[in-house]
This record gives sequence, C-alpha cells and structure tokens, in this order.
Amino acid sequence: MSYFIVNEKCNGCLACVENCPAAALDFIDQNDGRTLKHNMTRCARCGQCWRVCPQDAIEFQHLLEGEWDDVITLDLIHCRVCGEPLYSPAFLKKIEGELNSEGETLCPQHRQSEAAAKLLHSKPGKTGLQPGAK
Amino acid sequence: MIVGDLKPLEEIVSAVKDYKQVLVLGCGSCVTVCLSGGEKEAEQLGRQLSEVRHYQGPPPKFEVGCIIRQCEKDLVHDYQEIPPGTDALLSLACGAGVQTLADVYEPLPVIPALNTTFLGASDKPGTWTEKCKGCGDCILIHTGGICPIARCAKSLFNGPCGGSRGGYCEVGQGTPCAWTQIVARLKKMDRLRCYEEIRTSKDWTPGGASGVRRRVRTGLAEESKNR
Repeated sequence: MSYFIVNEKCNGCLACVENCPAAALDFIDQNDGRTLKHNMTRCARCGQCWRVCPQDAIEFQHLLEGEWDDVITLDLIHCRVCGEPLYSPAFLKKIEGELNSEGETLCPQHRQSEAAAKLLHSKPGKTGLQPGAK
Repeated sequence: MIVGDLKPLEEIVSAVKDYKQVLVLGCGSCVTVCLSGGEKEAEQLGRQLSEVRHYQGPPPKFEVGCIIRQCEKDLVHDYQEIPPGTDALLSLACGAGVQTLADVYEPLPVIPALNTTFLGASDKPGTWTEKCKGCGDCILIHTGGICPIARCAKSLFNGPCGGSRGGYCEVGQGTPCAWTQIVARLKKMDRLRCYEEIRTSKDWTPGGASGVRRRVRTGLAEESKNR
C-alpha cells in the first residue's frame, strides 16, 4: 500500500518530484497517462513535498499516522492450563535445544503454581519419603 | 544525530506540579533513536508523573502524544493537536524542538524534559558517543575522519597533550586520546603528512561565534508556501 496519498487537486505538475530531497518520488509518462510514484524506503518524511505542492494536494497525515502492515503469521502454542498465547513452535524448539530439555507449555503464572504444587508433594509425609532418607 | 538525556524526575515534577493538564510530547526522530524522547519514553514519563506520591496536592492530568519532528514549525502547527484544557507542554525533544513548540503555541508554557547533550553517533547498540561540535568548518579531511574538536577533551589542534597515556586521555573514564587515534588512523591511511602540515589558525566564526547561525536553501524557501 502507498502512504503517499494525493487528493483530487493533484494536477501532475511534479513540483513534489523535483523538490524531494530523498529522491523518493518519481513519475512515469506512458501512453496516455502520467503516474506519480513513491518509494517508502527512500522517504525521509521530511514534508518538503507537502510544503512545495502548489495545489495543496498532498495529504501528509497519511505519512504520519499509517496503518500497520502484517509482516508474518506463525503458528502459536498456548499455555496448556489457561490457553494464554505463548510462542511459536519454532521458538519453543530453539529454547528446548539451548536448554537441552523438553519445554513445558505453561505461562509464567501456571509454571509457578505447578512448581509450587510439585514442591508441596515432595515434602516429607506427602510423598512417603522419610526424614534422612536418601 | 542529536543525543539527549531525560532530566531527573524530581526536576520535571517540580516544573509541572503547578499545572492542571500537561501534554507530554515525544519527538519521533533523533531522540526516539537514542531512546530518550520518543513515543515510548513519553508514555513512560506520563505514567511516572501521574503517580500521586510526587505531589502534595492533586497531580496534573497528563496526556501523551508524539510527532515525527518537533523542530519544524509548519509541521507542528498543522499536525499536532493540543487537547482542550492543556495548560502546559512537556517536550521530550532537543532544545530546537522545545523552542519550536514555544514559538508555535505561545503563550503556552513549554517545559523541557530532556537535556540536549551532544551531536553523536552510535558505536554499538545502546551507546552513543559525541562526534561533532558543529564548528561550521570541518577539518576531518586532515585528521583521518576523527574530530579533535569533539573528541579531544581540550579540543587541541596540533597533537596530543602531556595528559595522553597509553592511548588514553587523562580525563579518565576510558576515554581514548583523540590525537593518538588520529595519528594511528593517518598512519594506516599513509597520510601522516596531514599531521605535519602547518595550517592557519581556525576561524571560529562559522561555529556560532558571530551569533545565531541560519541557512537559507536557494529555491525552496521562495517556492514554499507560507504555511
């Protein structure tokens, strides 16, 4: 999508193209049409186009407050207790590799509560272990 | 880029405590990149300042905003909305941004939240170092691309002083001696002759010694609309 948007007052005078310090604007005259082109990776959002446009045609607000672009969508693993989204399978695999252990799909809260429950069960009397037993 | 540091919170609290509604305004360029005055920092500062423990009476209400550059009058004028009831602006921009806001929104008070510290570059993630004093008469061609004005504690022009020890400056803090770096660089470039050249004394006039510096780019200023 383009963030450089002009309104119906644009008459193709090319003042913006000629005055863009970042060379982010260009045009193509082809057959019966003139196409104004904008390259966001070059644009410094300096506003010179907006300043010099004699037609007040450049709607610069779209370069200040744009929409979010989706970049990538990955599968998601959730906490097996509460369903809170955690991380992607690839991230889990990397962590498992670095820790050399199988990861538990638990959110921090349920990891803590399960660890506490395990501790409780391992106390003498709860697990059958006797004091001093090795 | 311009590097700035957040002022101590107590100093900011003291400056805003008598207002009723303050717009905390971040700047989306240099101070965003150096992690001191962008949108995130503005939001964080707004949250910190809203804590009642800082005030004896009721705290001001804090709104938060951010604009890509606070240092352009027309951009600020046309695109920055000031919420109704705002009786002060707290700017996280450099001094140029603060003054631009003060011009645009006169007589609204504009409070600086940052100390503008230097013109610098990022040597590694999270670290910025002063590189340029904006002297207006660049000599980097003679000094191997290392500025002795910005990077020598004494801004010496003709080599290291007696306080240079083992490649470091006597000011400490692990500061390298700029002239040791310059000589080493010139050697690598096979341009040590630059070090030996006698040059005329520096004219400091372009560095601001003759008053406020101003630049007009021919063509654009005349063609631009009077926004």
